Amino acid sequence: MAAFLRTISSSLRTGLVGKTIQPSTTLSAARFSTKAEEPAGETRPTVRKPDEVARSHLTDFGRYVAECLPKYVQKVQLTSGDELEVLIAPDGVVPVLQFLKDHHNSQFANLVDIAGLDIPSRENRFEVVYNLLSLRYNSRIRVKTYTDELTPLDSAYGVFKAADWYEREIWDMYGVFFANHPDLRRILTDYGFEGHPQRRDFPLSGYVELRYDDEKKRVVCEPLELAQEFRKFDLSAPWEQFPNFRNANPPSETIETKK
Amino acid sequence: MANVLKKTTGLTGLAVAANPHHTLSSLYNKILRAVQKMPQEAAYRKYTEEIVAQKLKIVQSTPVVKDLEKSINCGQAEELIVQAENELLLARKMLGWKPWEPLVKRAPAKQWDWPPAKIEQPKLE
Repeated sequence: MAAFLRTISSSLRTGLVGKTIQPSTTLSAARFSTKAEEPAGETRPTVRKPDEVARSHLTDFGRYVAECLPKYVQKVQLTSGDELEVLIAPDGVVPVLQFLKDHHNSQFANLVDIAGLDIPSRENRFEVVYNLLSLRYNSRIRVKTYTDELTPLDSAYGVFKAADWYEREIWDMYGVFFANHPDLRRILTDYGFEGHPQRRDFPLSGYVELRYDDEKKRVVCEPLELAQEFRKFDLSAPWEQFPNFRNANPPSETIETKK
Repeated sequence: MANVLKKTTGLTGLAVAANPHHTLSSLYNKILRAVQKMPQEAAYRKYTEEIVAQKLKIVQSTPVVKDLEKSINCGQAEELIVQAENELLLARKMLGWKPWEPLVKRAPAKQWDWPPAKIEQPKLE
């Protein structure tokens, strides 16, 4: 039965096709031409492949930095496959940055950004991250160091003039103090602001609220009063969130250096 | 003479050097002298001596500036002068910092661990 149906339908189809082609040859030709121009399906994978040559260059350069500055470099690692990170002791901020900027083989003359991290569970809760760019060799490097609330870091202003505002930003957001900075004050928050908003223990609602007072005819600043009791939610789920990634690649690979 | 000296470097604020060979060789010699005060086994001294001696040799052996730039392959002669000045200042600062000494401070345990807080075992209540 099925075979019979198939033969009928195939004969019908050929009949129909024969009929439709005959009357309008120009139209069908146009249709064929548009079909030919359709792009072939995308076959390349969308994931960027790691560049082995670049990786080996970065690995060698990481070893080179660690060998030249054994006093300050604690660890060298590659993250995300091809991003070189040099993790240094907090005393070595100025020497390491100066070396990376002025040495013939590095010439990282641009300071792209300085970022901060706050991880309260650590002994030194703040991390400061310097992103450098070398236009000469078309490469980037990241220098990381750490500090706590009370220990000042050396300012990178003497090496990179661009560090001026970036360090003010870190000071404003995290309260990391930079020694020898020419003009360390708030940069992003409002006049008279107290506290460092990017710290993990800074409440989302802040400490004060501003409102216009009709009787005093001016804006007043008062301690925040929440109408509702503070509630603490337990947001951790009892099940594993990403079981497929249990054995995923580690976020960073350590580069072995001589000690 | 007009053909020998180029008119501009094409870079803002960087004037054409009148006699790059003289400037470069004197700067390279100064770097070598500064580096020689470091201990023999310092890696920074070893590598810098190697780089600078190689460049100095090229500077002394090629009288034409264009050939010099081509064989060093690190920018124009004026840029090479800037790089050499930077390296000289760095070498002199390195004498004070002494980065060839052993590590000043080991990182505290788990300072560089990532992710910082491991996900705890599933809670059973």
